[in-house]
Amino acid sequence: MSTGAPPRSSRLRATSRWVAVRHRGSGTWAYVANRITGLALVGYLYIHLAVLSLLARGPGSYDRFVDVMRSPVFLALDVVLVAGWVIHALNGLRLTVVGLGFGVRAQRTMLIVAAVAGVVATVTAAVLLFGD
Amino acid sequence: MTITATLEVFRCGPGGTSRRFEHYEVTVHDDATVLDAIEAVWAHHDRSLTFRHACHHASCGTCGMLVNGVEALPCIADLSAALRQRNPVRVEPLRNLPLAGDLVVDVAGFFDRMRASTMTITRTAEDGLPIATDGGGTPAQPVEVAEGLARFNRFENCVECGICISACPTMATDDRFRGPAMLAALGRARAESDDPQERERLLDLADGEHGVWRCHGAWECTTRCPQQVDPAESIMQQRRDLLRRRLRGRVR
Repeated sequence: MSTGAPPRSSRLRATSRWVAVRHRGSGTWAYVANRITGLALVGYLYIHLAVLSLLARGPGSYDRFVDVMRSPVFLALDVVLVAGWVIHALNGLRLTVVGLGFGVRAQRTMLIVAAVAGVVATVTAAVLLFGD
Repeated sequence: MTITATLEVFRCGPGGTSRRFEHYEVTVHDDATVLDAIEAVWAHHDRSLTFRHACHHASCGTCGMLVNGVEALPCIADLSAALRQRNPVRVEPLRNLPLAGDLVVDVAGFFDRMRASTMTITRTAEDGLPIATDGGGTPAQPVEVAEGLARFNRFENCVECGICISACPTMATDDRFRGPAMLAALGRARAESDDPQERERLLDLADGEHGVWRCHGAWECTTRCPQQVDPAESIMQQRRDLLRRRLRGRVR
């Protein structure tokens, strides 16, 4: 009987499959989206802290950086950031509610509502960011 | 009418050595299942091909495998539909279970988990059922149940195919995760039990970091289950019951 831990290479191969969403259900798509946005938001947090550290070099340094950030490319990245944050937050709420056993049969409906709300929030953010 | 199909079959030696895909062309009846095609490979091309099957109608759960990358029972998977999805049709063994060879996985660990939940193999209602031996319907003798098996109740509808184990992304990350099948079995046994102590014991079994709380809510077990057992809903309901029990404990 083989019930022990699989070899390291096989374990890596198995655990790396979580990103494979092809032919999978909406729940897996949400699961993968939550993980990717979670990892991206953690990465962004460090970038954000590094940017804030520019303040220690004086206002001129920070203002020059903010001017660069107002370019359309960085504004587009801001929209991506908002989308990631909204997806993670709304799906996180759904998982919290369902994960505690409430509204379990409505989990797919909650996912659809979260997806629609996420699209609306992202489009609104894009309009506001590029409208200025 | 017949169709000719090419199968891309995962092959490997004992324990998963020499992994590769091999292609086989088979001619089968046009309403054939994927399992029919695999059997044709075995019959006409390679008698060393290892695969498991028994009932051919989705009631034994023995033949579970990946068809075109997705968990399925090939005995009820239409070959023509699979061909429309991907040509050649790819068949692979289930994931998250140790490879035994070719399309066969070692299900011993899976059944150990099921046994630990105190239910598998037969249902209590089947213990002691009379069987007719004279062809006339006359009960002759009770079914013989091996020693210790009388307590092993199977939960409704589950055919113990292991498909939920393969589809669950959490199973790949935690060897000790009890898994969707066992957790659903615990939920089912608890729902059936009238004994408060037994109900508490079953809830304790479902609790813990390797129990219901390890599930990440991908719902793939429920999506893929060929028998609509819905392990995910059972897992979440047991979480709610555990939460209630803990809150009640604090109030006291």
